[in-house]
Amino acid sequence: MNMLRIENLHAEIDGKEILKGLSLSVKAGEIHAIMGPNGAGKSTLGYVLGGRPGYDVTEGSVTFDGVDLLALEPHERAAAGVFLGFQYPVEIPGVSNVQFLREALNAQRAGRGEAPLSGGEFLKLARAQADALGLDQDMLKRPVNVGFSGGEKKRNEMVQMGIVDPKFAILDETDSGLDIDALRIVGDGINRIMRKPDKAVLLITHYQRLLDYVKPDFVHVLADGRIVRSGGAELALELEREGYAGVAA
Amino acid sequence: MSVLELPSTREEGWRWSDPEGIAAAAAMPAGAPVDPAALFLDLPGARIVVRDGVVDRDASDLHRVTLAPVPASDHPLGRQAAGPGWMLHLAEDAVAHPVQVVHLASGGANHLPAEIVLAEDAAAQVVETYAGAGWSNRFLRVRLGRAARLMRAVRLVQDGGFVSLREEAHLGTGASLVTTFLGAGAAGSRIDATLVAGEGAFAEFGGALLTAGEQRQECAVAVRHAEPNGQSHQLWRAVAADRSTASLAARVEVARHAQKTDGEQSLRGLLLQRTATVNLKPELEIFADDVKCAHGATVGELDQRALFYMQSRGIPRGRAQAILTRAFVADALDRIGNETVREAFAADADAWLERVL
Repeated sequence: MNMLRIENLHAEIDGKEILKGLSLSVKAGEIHAIMGPNGAGKSTLGYVLGGRPGYDVTEGSVTFDGVDLLALEPHERAAAGVFLGFQYPVEIPGVSNVQFLREALNAQRAGRGEAPLSGGEFLKLARAQADALGLDQDMLKRPVNVGFSGGEKKRNEMVQMGIVDPKFAILDETDSGLDIDALRIVGDGINRIMRKPDKAVLLITHYQRLLDYVKPDFVHVLADGRIVRSGGAELALELEREGYAGVAA
Repeated sequence: MSVLELPSTREEGWRWSDPEGIAAAAAMPAGAPVDPAALFLDLPGARIVVRDGVVDRDASDLHRVTLAPVPASDHPLGRQAAGPGWMLHLAEDAVAHPVQVVHLASGGANHLPAEIVLAEDAAAQVVETYAGAGWSNRFLRVRLGRAARLMRAVRLVQDGGFVSLREEAHLGTGASLVTTFLGAGAAGSRIDATLVAGEGAFAEFGGALLTAGEQRQECAVAVRHAEPNGQSHQLWRAVAADRSTASLAARVEVARHAQKTDGEQSLRGLLLQRTATVNLKPELEIFADDVKCAHGATVGELDQRALFYMQSRGIPRGRAQAILTRAFVADALDRIGNETVREAFAADADAWLERVL
């Protein structure tokens, strides 16, 4: 059964249509990579699925586990198991990572009718995830993403993903801004947290290199708001060789 | 209302004042008395209950505090709080337990002066709470001797009416005055202060004003550096919801020979709705040529990107707004040194957010 089903999705920002009839289905256990040139609508797809205000769906539907995803508030989508990894994680001065994550996890648990984690239980979980991703423990106490390097922000996204343990992750250019070592660590993190039979990932990326670490089951080329080609992992290599212009044309 | 005799709002220093709000508060009918017990924090030391501007001796534990006439102010609001008031006078090297003062208003106007005089190296802490409803008008005179240290924390949590505070402080050589205000009630307010800092003196004067409904709160503060090597920090945060107005006017004056003065002003406003107003006026008047005076003034809304980020992690929008707003005022409240006091003020800020968001 499809975990995520997107049908004929049209979306616009400030009246400008960005997604122009995008359809895509993702089953549990699958990792899909969405590749495409700048301005194709990759990030828009992520934000529409996450429910960012200002991204208006004008046509089409998105169902997640049989539920109308577009009818849910952003926090309800999170509680339903959707995680959006940001291309540019936001800095939140004055709010510590620990506070932020504990609020987030417990809000999601409350949304699912589960009991909140105690401070001690939460810290244990947060420390384990930070260790696994090579994020300094001290950074858990620091304000969210404030003063973090680009690579640290991305690792922090993965720590968050590990803590909330989502069913479905949309990772928007999680590889950008990472050096080779960090890329491997983040790639390992995605595999460890999400490569499971009951989970799925939508990996939005410009480049093939993250796909060396996270092997996609399917690769889709997004151009001008539509998926213009789909294939297996070999399609990413073809794109790398020939560029988007050759493949998407 | 003749009792007021306040300057016109056409005068620059009073342009954001709210004489109608004061008059309306003064005319509030007598209400039920408020129980002060819950308003005292778990601290040792003096506990003073002030009911409608009169110290309730039976309900108070004065410790070192005495009751006596306080020299009058010539300030338009301050001079109305003349006559006998509470006093804390500490001799050289004395360190007092915290002094807590709970001011309860039950309608109408009430006035009370106070005086804090610390001799060389003396140290004191004063925590004040304003509750009830009506017009509470106060005058505080502070004189700090060489290296004396005074920490004050003042919370305005009246349910209605108006609180006006006039404070005049002189800081001796190397003296330190740290005052933090929290306006988290439903009353209007004016915090009006003049601080004169001596050689090497340290003055911190700031806080958070949280306004909602039709409420108007303001501070009008001037710090005068009369001698060299002084330091002052005026860190204010204003949060305005609905159709309320918060106004911050902070002034630093540096006299010609007050070289090496280090003055900092940070005034920031947050609008929770676009119908609300935050006025900021940082002012610098510097006659010395070797000084450092940083100032910043910004008004904005909650960061929409941060809100969405938090929502996408599962935090409902209202809660995300509360967390971000709380973080916005945290800087100001973190200046409170005493943990018990800091936590109580933080809880008041949280309760305000709970109510408003």
